Order: sequence, then structure tokens, then C-alpha cells
Amino acid sequence: MKMLFSSTPFLFWFLPSVLILYFIVSNKLKNAVLLLSSLFFYGWGEPRYVVWMVLAIIMGYMFGRLMDRFRKEPTISKILLVLSISSSLAMLGYFKYVDFFIGNFNAMTGLSVPLLQITLPIGISFYTFQILSYTIDVYRGDVVVQKNPIDLATYVALFPQLIAGPIVRYSDIANQLKKRTHSFKKTALGMRRFIIGLGKKIMIANLLGELCNIFRESDNKSVLFFWLYAVAYSLHIYFDFSGYSDMAIGLGKIFGFNFLENFHYPYISASITEFWRRWHISLGSWFRDYIYIPLGGNRVSAFRHLFNIFLVWMLTGFWHGAAWNFIVWGLYFAILLIIEKLWLFHYLKKSRILSHVYVMTLVIISFVIFDAVSMGQAFSYIKAMFGAGGYSLISAEFLYYLRSYGVVLILAMIGATPLPQKLWNRVSATSVGGNVMILVEPLAISALLVVCTAYLIDGSYNPFLYFRF
Amino acid sequence: MKKYKDRIFVAIVGLIFASMTFTAWIVSQKESSESERRKLAQFPELSYASIKDGSFMTKFENYTQDQFPLRDAFRTIKAVFAYYMLGQLDNNDIYMKDGYAAKLEYPLNEDSVHHAADRFEYIYNKFLADKNRNIYLSIVPDKSYFLAEQNGYLRMDYEKLFAIMQDKMSYANYIDITTTLDITDYYKTDTHWRQEKLNDTAAKIAAEMGVTLSGEYTQNALEFPFYGVYYGQVSLPLPAETIYYLTNDILDSCKVTNYEDGTVGGIYDMDRAVGKDPYEIFLSGSRSLITIENPNYEDERELIIFRDSFGSSITPLLVEGYSKITLVDIRYLRVDFLDKFIEFDGQDVLFLFSTLILNNSETLT
Repeated sequence: MKMLFSSTPFLFWFLPSVLILYFIVSNKLKNAVLLLSSLFFYGWGEPRYVVWMVLAIIMGYMFGRLMDRFRKEPTISKILLVLSISSSLAMLGYFKYVDFFIGNFNAMTGLSVPLLQITLPIGISFYTFQILSYTIDVYRGDVVVQKNPIDLATYVALFPQLIAGPIVRYSDIANQLKKRTHSFKKTALGMRRFIIGLGKKIMIANLLGELCNIFRESDNKSVLFFWLYAVAYSLHIYFDFSGYSDMAIGLGKIFGFNFLENFHYPYISASITEFWRRWHISLGSWFRDYIYIPLGGNRVSAFRHLFNIFLVWMLTGFWHGAAWNFIVWGLYFAILLIIEKLWLFHYLKKSRILSHVYVMTLVIISFVIFDAVSMGQAFSYIKAMFGAGGYSLISAEFLYYLRSYGVVLILAMIGATPLPQKLWNRVSATSVGGNVMILVEPLAISALLVVCTAYLIDGSYNPFLYFRF
Repeated sequence: MKKYKDRIFVAIVGLIFASMTFTAWIVSQKESSESERRKLAQFPELSYASIKDGSFMTKFENYTQDQFPLRDAFRTIKAVFAYYMLGQLDNNDIYMKDGYAAKLEYPLNEDSVHHAADRFEYIYNKFLADKNRNIYLSIVPDKSYFLAEQNGYLRMDYEKLFAIMQDKMSYANYIDITTTLDITDYYKTDTHWRQEKLNDTAAKIAAEMGVTLSGEYTQNALEFPFYGVYYGQVSLPLPAETIYYLTNDILDSCKVTNYEDGTVGGIYDMDRAVGKDPYEIFLSGSRSLITIENPNYEDERELIIFRDSFGSSITPLLVEGYSKITLVDIRYLRVDFLDKFIEFDGQDVLFLFSTLILNNSETLT
């Protein structure tokens, strides 16, 4: 039972308790409060796995200190870096990927090595990458080593971003760990961002997730129902993940941190290249800075450049899950990005509308692959979407659920664009609007909090997708 | 004022958040929810084992949801938002049409229908095949039968359900009661049908079984307001309804024996009028085995009804034609033990089940 941000234990028990403690203790103790509450938060879902996370933090701390200690001895320093990366990846590999490799080994050899069936510790992919970025940055000399273990542990375990990102770089918050400011402005921004994220998660992502579940269990599928599912899932995953990122960024603000943005309206992109500059920005930049560029990026031979792109995108897919469909999903984007680089980019500039249709169609198809339980299912779903699955064009269930979720879908589509924010800004910018907004905004945000609470109390559908990563 | 914008924001949102939190912390826990007709989660036992296996965390979340202050009001907010703001057609699978709350009973679960038919066949083969000739089947349609299709809601294939049951129960004479019913014969906030509207239906069933009913009753109103089972589930502010029950001299003289506790009483159990579900005034609600003895019937003619809760309100209308009616609810009584309580000896037998049970028959033993 994980503690979701969008849950009554978190909202009305954990968070208020932490806020009270955090703001009554002196500045010196604030990180300790955050660390202890983060360990409690993590332990709530996975009591046993707190030990592994603490071990990962200790290793990150020790390797950081040792690399700093042997900075003038490049060989030792490099060996320490390799050991640090290997140990972090070994832990991630053991928990997340070992059964994938055993399964494939069995399939290739015909043997039946038993699967270990290990439960994936929540957030392991996120905190492993944060520790890796810290130790690599220390090795490179990009950041000053953290000598205070509590501060480093606070950075890794910080509950707002611990289990679902964004992947916060140590370099981005190193100073804030030492000294950060708290103000009404930051708190107001944080509260607003958190509650809007909560609304995105509960009012849109959960409802569309419900629709996707209905589709999966339906015996009355049709071509248009497949499309409805694919569109709903694409919006669901965006609102689920970006809603959670909003909540993380908002909580960070309340506690005085400034986390970088993780999503920037990806569905308005006019190319796949642009899409990946706007989608899961912290992951994309992590792979760029720690894999792609060290491999030489685009400053190598054409063949090596293609290899780099394929490798990075295969790893991006594999990061999302230990299954072939995630690898294919990553490679699918690698191919699209290469096609754009080599040829298509020039044409995409000619029509914003057509390029947008192109991006959305391919992104929607990509998420069908992403959501599939197997590649077989992914292919059968995609075939069905294009009328090759033997399904009728339309079904009673499609019509019913289109009507029932139509408003949510329209709200989601509008909400995925900058339009609401622009409208809000425009009204606020006028003198009358600005004054009215002083009262209307907190009342609207409070109303959203009340409605979200109502949904939680009613025990509605409320999983969270990115915990498996 | 603009320079205080952030302070005003923090004050208003913070106050509302703090109020909700504070009341959640201090509110005393309730045992049960009247509107939802269920027990509410209580504060879970805190122990090393419950933390280790995660059960404390799961139960704590249930506790915080169930015991949240103004829970019913929040549930209403959610329902109003879902129906009227988001335009959703149903809320938790309950929809509203013309003031009637109905469950989205969809799709047809053929396995379930076959399971029900198999259980009935087992009863037939074990107890009835050699002795009882007059065996009947009647199926009570749920409200969606009348509401769903014409109002754009998903409708299960009722015709297929009826066909499967008739096909698999070829030993029974099928009595079609869909023609004598319409949506007004049901409570608006409940699953069940209204006894005072069932004269035609009872007459049709009786006629098919070779019994004539006078159908003369006095209609009495229960003085307590009735909020049916869907009232709590739909969470919208709906008006209370009135339960009417029918009496006459025959019904007043009947003796009802409850074999669960050996108590003897009348057709209507008025103690139930103030309980969680006032519909239970009809033959005391869910009972595994009861008999109704009619001293006014001069011959010996008995009827055994295998039934669900719909049978409770219609059976009194059939009493006139029998000296004794035995009601068996195989959701609460294992069929293998039936002959310990009932002597099967040529009685008429009626299988009377609603589509709700047939489509969700896992509770049939």
C-alpha cells in the first residue's frame, strides 16, 4: 500500500504533520525533519525496502567522498566511479531486470531457471538515477562533494520527488539543501501547483484510467473503441505523470526548493524531436548528459551517431520497464527521431496542423505499445485501430463511453494545451480581472481541493502509473 | 490589495485545508453508514505484524476515507460533479433517469446465468424429478430492462438471458412477467418492485400455476420514509419514498415460521420498518427458509418458491391460493441440506429470481 499524494492518509495526516514539524523547527533541523518524514513516507509503502534505499544513499555518499579524496589520482578516482556506477546499476538490475533476463535466457536456451519474482521497490529507478547523477557530477568536478550525510540523504530521499520524479539533479538543489528561503509567494505558488496537480491526477487521469480499464475488460470492442482507448490512454498517462510532477514541484516550493519543470505541453509539439524536449524533461536530459554526450553525441561518425541514438533510446525504453514492449517503444522513437533528423524535419515546418496530426498519431500509437502487456497485444491493438482486427467500426459500448467521458476527454485535450493558462494570465493581467482574481483564485483552488477530496472519499479508481518505474 | 495577494491565497486555501485536516483528526469514529447500509472501517490494529504485511496501511487508508467528516456530503459533491459538471452518465455504475435510480447491469454474464441454471437443475435432479410435476420458472427483470435502451444506457441482452434459462430449465414452465410490469412498478431509489403494484403480475403467475386470486386488499402506508439501496449509492439528494403494503383477512391470519431461529410471526415484520432496510418488513427480508401457513385454505395445496428478495413482497399475494408456501433462499442455505428441512412431495415449485441475481449468481450455493 503505497502512500500516494492523491490519498487521504497523505493529504490529511502525513502532509499536515510534516508541515507543522517542518515549520516549527529551526533551520538547522529542517533537513532532518524532511529526511525522517521521507523515510517514513517511503517505509509506509515498502517498510523492507527502506534498508535498500538507505544502503544506496550510503554507497553514494561514500563513493562521493572517496572520489573527492582521490581527486588528484585519476586512476583510483575512475575505479571508484566505475564501482559506484556498477553497484548502483547492480541494485537496480537485481530488483528490476533480473526476471526479464532470466525469462529471456529461458526462452533462448529452453531451460527453466526459476524466476526470482522480486517486488520492485517503488521509485528505485528515480533514486538510482539521482545517486548516479550525483556521483558522476562529483567525479567530473561539476559539483562540490556533500560532506553532510543528512543533506545528501535528504536530497535522494526527499519525499516530494522520491517515488515518481522529476529526477532532480544534485547540482540543481545543492545550494538549496544548505540555504533556502520560505515565503508567502513561494508557499502560494506551491499550494496552487500542488492542488492543480492533484486535480489533474484525480479529475482527469483517474477518470481516463477508468475508461481504459473499461476498454480492456470489454467484450464489445470496435475500431472506434480502440481509438477511444488509445486517445484516452495518451491523455491519461500525460495527466497522471505531469499531475504528479506538478504536485512534486508544488510541494518542493512549499518546502523552499525549486525543482525544474518536467513537462511543457508535450502534446502541442510539431515534431517528435520537439515532443521529447517537452515530455519527461528530467529523464530526457539525464540520458542526454550522462549517456548520449559522453558517447560522443553527434560529434562522431554518422554510423556512431546512429548507434548512439539507438542505444540511448533503447535504454530510455528499458528504464520504463523490464519488458520488450518498453524497448520497442524506445526504439520506435529512435527511428522516428532519425527519420526527422535525416529527412522529415524540413517538411514538418511547412504545416503546423499536419505536423501536429503526425505527432499525435505517432505518439498515440507509441502509448498503445507502452501500455501493452506484450508485443503481441500491441500489434493486435494497432492492427485493430486500422481496421485489420476483424472488429466492427462502432459498438454500443463505444457510443456509451464516448458520451459518458466526452466532457472529460474535451477538458483533457484543452488542458493539455497552454490555452487555460493563457486565458488565466490574460484575465489576471487586466486591472479588474487582477483584483477579482485575488479572491476568485484561492476560492477556485479551494473548491478544486474539496472536489478532489470528495473523489478520494468516494473511493474512486486511484492507481498511479509511474510507481512501477 | 495586490501586494497581499499571496497572503490572501495562503490564508484562504490554508484555512480550508487546515479545517478539513483538523476535523479529520478530531472526529469520533462511526460504526456504520445509514445511507450506504454498511459498516464503516474502524481504526486498524497497530502491531509489528500489521505493519510488516502492510495491512495496517491499507486499513488505515480505508479508515480515513470511511471516517472522513461529512462523508455523505462529500459523496454528494462527487456525484453532483460527476453527473452535472462532467456529464458522466453513471456514478459508480448507478444512473438516474426520470427520477429512477438504476444500476448499469451490463454486460450479460453468460457463465453466471449458466451457473444459476446448473444449480437449479441440481435441485431438480436431486429433489424434484421424481415427485414434483408442476415446476415453474419466472424471471424478474431489473429496472434497466425498462430504462436502459430507450434512454441510451448500456443494456444487457435480456432476451438471451431468458432464452438460456428457458433452454436449460426445460423441466419448468416459463411464466413471462415482463408484459405485466413497467418501470413504475419499482421503487425509484431501490432495486425492488412495489408490492401494491404487483396484482397483475401475481395474478399472471397464479393463473399459469392454475390458481385464481381475488386480488382484494387494503393498501397501507408505512409511516417511515423509505430510502432504497440506490439512494446511498447514487449519493444525490433524492426525495424519500413511501412503502405500501397490502393486507386482507387471509394475510392477517397467516402464520409465518422462520426456520433460522424458530420464531413465528405474521406476513409483515413491523420491527423492520425502522431498521436499515424497511423493505424487510416483507417476510422479514433475507431469510434462508420460511413457511407461510394459510389456515383459510380448505384443501391441501402447497407451493415451494426458490427465490431471492423480490419474492418477499410478491409471495403474500400468492398465499390465497395455497395452504402452505415454503420460501427457500439458496444464497443462504446449502441445497444439499434441503431435504433435512423440506419434504418434497408433489408440491408446486416456482423458481422466481431476478435478472440481478442470475447475472451475478456466484452467491447461489
